[in-house]
Amino acid sequence: MERQPVKNDISSYIIQSQEEEIKRIALELHEGVGQTLYSLYTGMQFIGNAVEQVEMKGYVSDMAELLEKTIQEIRLLAVELHPPTLTTLGLLPAMKSYLKLYTSTYGIEVELETSGKEIPLEERQRITLFRVCQEALANIARYADTVKAEMTFAWQFDHLSIIIKDNGKGFNIDKGWHQSTGLAAMKERMHLIGGEWHLSSKIGEGTVVELYLPFI
Amino acid sequence: MNQSFEIAHTCESILSKIATDFVGLALQNREGPDVRWHYAAGNSNDKYKKITVRYGKGIAGKVISTGSPITINNFPENIHGKALEYPIMLAEKLLYAFAVPIFYKGAPKGVLLVGRRTNTPINKEEQNIVRQAAITLEGMISSLF
Repeated sequence: MERQPVKNDISSYIIQSQEEEIKRIALELHEGVGQTLYSLYTGMQFIGNAVEQVEMKGYVSDMAELLEKTIQEIRLLAVELHPPTLTTLGLLPAMKSYLKLYTSTYGIEVELETSGKEIPLEERQRITLFRVCQEALANIARYADTVKAEMTFAWQFDHLSIIIKDNGKGFNIDKGWHQSTGLAAMKERMHLIGGEWHLSSKIGEGTVVELYLPFI
Repeated sequence: MNQSFEIAHTCESILSKIATDFVGLALQNREGPDVRWHYAAGNSNDKYKKITVRYGKGIAGKVISTGSPITINNFPENIHGKALEYPIMLAEKLLYAFAVPIFYKGAPKGVLLVGRRTNTPINKEEQNIVRQAAITLEGMISSLF
């Protein structure tokens, strides 16, 4: 008898398809739309230099400026959707780059500590760990009411452990679990790559998210 | 009185004129389209100093890109996009905000935002005080460009 796909396989398939689609859109934005707009921008500059009428020159210059802003927007959107460094340089460089963006977006400083030597991971694992860390950091920005957080990457020969900690206001885990699907999604994502996810929180003391990925 | 002091004084005076919890002034960077918060009064932390929003993003970015005021009620209910796209609301735990553009040489280059940590909107008269303060600030921000 043909085997029915189990829930894990389906979840894994959905998440993977979603990630592939996000990556495709990011690439299309960066390499396709972004490049076309850049060609338009250089064309606009060329027209701007050729035009002699002062009013028209100013108009062309405004349009070129708007195009420049749009190109920058498209590039940033593409990086936000799928950071290229995650594929080219690996998890840690992508996370370092994201933390800079995180601090400049939410005003929260994240102290990053690493130990051991980074071990290359499969793309699926890299993306999952990156997304789970992003979700944990987003929760800090939304709920923790803190100006600082800590992140630790510990590379061991047989596993990687990541700890994301804040000294914010903390929350009741049972309540949080029922109010948000984000926590369950983080756990599920880690489970799908063979990893573990632990959460602890104390009201008034803060929250700790621990990720553990064994290298099989 | 130097201009920085005058700007800070104007922000603080809004706080005392209308019963609001937070007043912030954001300006587009001299170079590039990004927007930064330069002054705040009633702030509960210094996060605003590190926050940079993109042109068209967040409240400040949207007010500058459209040149029109924005009101947010009962944040994060009924907002466009995600709550995470409104960093100043999250950083200052605001539930209500009213933001107006500040023009420089005819173009929107800054934002004056007043916010409350309760969902209590400011009335028309108070909105006019904010609009008037934005016009006053227009004459002060030239040194920042």
